[in-house]
Amino acid sequence: MTSARPTKRTKSPRLPTQTLPAKIFHWTNLISLFVMLFSGLQIYNANPVFGGRSGWNFPDYLTLGGWLAGGRNWHFAAMWFYALNLLWYGLYVMVSRRWQIRYASGSDIKALRVSQNAKRKNYALHRLVYTAIIPILVLSIASGLGMYKPASLHWLASLFVDWQTLRTVHFIAVPIFILFTFVHSLLALRVGSIRLIKSMFV
Amino acid sequence: MSKSISRRQLLQWSGLSSASLLLNSCGSNLWSKEVGQAIEPLNQATQALLLTQKPVPEYSIDQIEPDKLLINTFAQTPQIDPAKYRLQIEGEVNHPMQLSLGDLQTLPLTSMVIQHVCVEGWAAIVQWGGVRLQELLRLAQPKPNARYVYFKSADGYYESWDLVSATHPQTLMAYQKNGQSLSADNGAPLRLASPIKLGYKQSKWVTQIMLTNQLMPKTGYWEDRGYEWFGGL
Repeated sequence: MTSARPTKRTKSPRLPTQTLPAKIFHWTNLISLFVMLFSGLQIYNANPVFGGRSGWNFPDYLTLGGWLAGGRNWHFAAMWFYALNLLWYGLYVMVSRRWQIRYASGSDIKALRVSQNAKRKNYALHRLVYTAIIPILVLSIASGLGMYKPASLHWLASLFVDWQTLRTVHFIAVPIFILFTFVHSLLALRVGSIRLIKSMFV
Repeated sequence: MSKSISRRQLLQWSGLSSASLLLNSCGSNLWSKEVGQAIEPLNQATQALLLTQKPVPEYSIDQIEPDKLLINTFAQTPQIDPAKYRLQIEGEVNHPMQLSLGDLQTLPLTSMVIQHVCVEGWAAIVQWGGVRLQELLRLAQPKPNARYVYFKSADGYYESWDLVSATHPQTLMAYQKNGQSLSADNGAPLRLASPIKLGYKQSKWVTQIMLTNQLMPKTGYWEDRGYEWFGGL
């Protein structure tokens, strides 16, 4: 908190910086998620989650892989990058104690409720949003693994009650991730303008 | 300026044509084959690591979903005379065999209620009854160098499995579905059924089981068209 408090107002504020692990995580996550999303829609079209064979299909330009086998190849390649990226970053966040300073806490909830400072509120909301995506990221891995290996990982698949629920939970990740990408970007813009976004990707 | 194409123009055109090449491939497979070839060894190793001879938990009879098992065939549905039907077991075995349906029915009947998962994304809880492939192989006695099992079907469909999956206690040569004898659509008189492999691995109308010590260039009807070979669940 001390570093975030403005002291003397200077003409050129300090540019936001990000650690290299955070940058690598964001790049890998963004790319692998989009590969999984488009190849996932290809897989979806082979037997729509909603409506089965007579269900509505996504248009070809939203799919990756050309047909089901191609979509599966992309999906089951990108899953390694996506899952291992989340794993090492999770470990890094723990070991570096980043989780204590970078994620939403009680003080953010309090700020959202009582603070009069608009900047503080934006900041708290942003932290809350990107913290809330973590369980969704983990849930899509769990539901994906449950569908990929329902026999070997029967215990995992059975946590989702039945096959249709498993498929639905896995699919719901798509609209959530798209929405999250927008909201996360917009809030980052509000909190730190384009400089904050540049600091994460450049 | 002359009419000849300038260097800059040529470069622009070549840039455009390679861009269109890229765009064209977006609509089709876009390296999906190469991606599959690159990652499949890792995926297969992971699946082999997860594979055990431990039975997969089964469902109860009242959980069977009779309407959910869809019918997929690549060609026509063969009509086989049960009286004339023979199952051949050959290749890398000490005792090649030919079994009639009557022979198969004298062997111990195993029944299981499992989830059948199709590569397309749907699944159905089904009861299968039949003879463990393990039991048939015990009779045929695989030679020590046998590693793979090929299945040939009456409709021309072909498949190959790793021997470990083929000898899993829930890998059956089934002649019953949901308590009744198998229908022609579902693979009568004899088909593969197992909870540990995707549906396209579970050949219907099996007439020949052949053990080999290596995979042949053709590994399976759908595999030869792009699906992964192991197809483990």
